[in-house]
Amino acid sequence: MTVRQLLREAIATVRTSRVPSALVALLTAVMCASTLATVGRTVSAEREIQARMDAAGSKVVVLRDAQNKALLPPAVVDAIAHLSVTDRAIGLTVPVDVVNGAIGPGSTPAPSWRVIGDISAVATLEHGRWPRPGEALVSEPARSQLGLTDGYGWVTSGTEDVAVVGTFTARAPFDTLACGVVIAATPSDVAASMHVVARTAADAQRVESLSISLINAPFAQDLAIESPVSLAQLQQQVGRDLGSVSRSLVLGVLGGGALLTAIVVLADVLVRRKDLGRRRALGATRATIVALVMVRTAIPALLGAGVGAAVGLYLANALNAQPGATFAASIVVLSTLAAISSSALPAVYAAHRDPVEVLRTP
Amino acid sequence: MNPALEIRDLSFGYRRGGEDLFGGLSHTFAAGAVTALTGASGRGKSTLLYMLGLMLTPTAGAVILDGKDVGAASDADRSRIRARQLGFVFQDAALDPTRTVLDSVLEPSLYAGIPRAVAECHARARLEDLGLSARADHRPGEISGGQAQRVAICRALVNDPVVVLADEPTGNLDRGNAEIVLSALRGATGQGRTVVIATHDPFVIAHTDHEVAL
Ligand SMILES: Nc1ncnc2c1ncn2[C@@H]1O[C@H](COP(=O)(O)OP(=O)(O)OP(=O)(O)O)[C@@H](O)[C@H]1O
Ligand SMILES: [Mg+2]
Repeated sequence: MTVRQLLREAIATVRTSRVPSALVALLTAVMCASTLATVGRTVSAEREIQARMDAAGSKVVVLRDAQNKALLPPAVVDAIAHLSVTDRAIGLTVPVDVVNGAIGPGSTPAPSWRVIGDISAVATLEHGRWPRPGEALVSEPARSQLGLTDGYGWVTSGTEDVAVVGTFTARAPFDTLACGVVIAATPSDVAASMHVVARTAADAQRVESLSISLINAPFAQDLAIESPVSLAQLQQQVGRDLGSVSRSLVLGVLGGGALLTAIVVLADVLVRRKDLGRRRALGATRATIVALVMVRTAIPALLGAGVGAAVGLYLANALNAQPGATFAASIVVLSTLAAISSSALPAVYAAHRDPVEVLRTP
Repeated sequence: MNPALEIRDLSFGYRRGGEDLFGGLSHTFAAGAVTALTGASGRGKSTLLYMLGLMLTPTAGAVILDGKDVGAASDADRSRIRARQLGFVFQDAALDPTRTVLDSVLEPSLYAGIPRAVAECHARARLEDLGLSARADHRPGEISGGQAQRVAICRALVNDPVVVLADEPTGNLDRGNAEIVLSALRGATGQGRTVVIATHDPFVIAHTDHEVAL
């Protein structure tokens, strides 16, 4: 039997036994569409969680000079800021309350920090210019609290006067600075704490260990560390869990679909036993019967997979998730293969039925 | 003419250790003639025919076709021989109800690996021989029982087989149709073809050349 003849015969069967053909197509379409939609959904959920956890500061390592031993001089801050795993890093002094110098003592205070390192790592300039060493920027809440009408002027801590040259908004995750004043440090300032944003959550651990070696504290208790490592681990865990959930989903849907397809094909060959028995009597080999049954299943399965892919991608889109072209294509191939291979067993069963017995029974 | 079909010391039982239907039967089927397999119901006429048709394997003995013992060949080999060298006519025509008469007649050529164009040519010639040209595009539901059995004979002959086997081919037909079918089978003996008919119908037996009584 040539491939063309085989296709012709299979197509004729697809058209005459419409119900099993439609069921095979439907099952493959459902396999395809449901995996695309559910896995697409999981992929987007994973992305959402990733984003939320990144925003929650799972990349930030804070190191504090717990015993005030001047462990964080500008050189150390600079070295940590330039690590390849570091995204941004600054040192901060202990906050000191300042008041508007023009109004004087007794007026409403606001906290101020001296920032060692690049101020743009923690602040976005809104008005004015970037401060030179010893100059300050105020946040909008601090400006109104201090009574600095246009964002310029000077503030005083009582022992030191500082010029205010503009306003800023705090960059995430440095939200604590949003209510105060940031002062560009002078070379003599020594940080009390060091805040490092790692490039990725996975890099946080490396940032921590490298910073510890750079700081080189004499005693472990001299340095207090707030590390997000456990958070990063949690995030990886969540990612893994989601991955295994979608894997078992795909396997479950494909397995269930394949089983149902096998049942439909088995029912089909049982109903068509006269047809297959006649073919055997007239000279069809077992291989020909197997090929006929499998090709006859493959045709509606392919059609179903096409429709299923379209529906699945549409649903995934509606759920705001793009599963990706490679993934979609592999699901189409997988569900078609699942349907075709599930027809193998019924096909072999049909090929091994005794044609004599079939011909004898009306 | 050389005999194409022969059985030697043939035994067969449906169950292991069960009743032996033929008890070492030997016979040479004459080429270019019609042989009737006769015997009471249940004696094994159909069984012998299926064995000649290589659908059942003898328990002992040989089925010799064109000088080769093919009775116990592999399933694939027996299928190929069925497609290329044997033709079958069953009691009910056993046509695919969903296909046209032409497609039904063509069917064995699919399994014999004959290109469709060539096979279609043969098929139309056979239909012409039996006066069925006008029915080529009909489906089995649109032709009479006698016509269906003639279509089955066309199908049996489409690959120009050396042996044609028929099991009660006139069992469902009236006398007139039986005569037409019988003469079609007699006509098939041309070119030295061997025709074997399993039957218990005295009318058919009277019109055959040889008889093997079981
Ligand atoms: N699959 C089977 N298993 C066991 N015994 C069987 C089987 N098929 C047929 N037989 C028995 O084998 C014997 C021969 O059956 P067969 O059909 O060859 O007879 P037959 O001569 O063609 O009869 P009829 O004239 O009624 O068609 C019968 O006794 C039958 O009951
Ligand atoms: Mg019988």
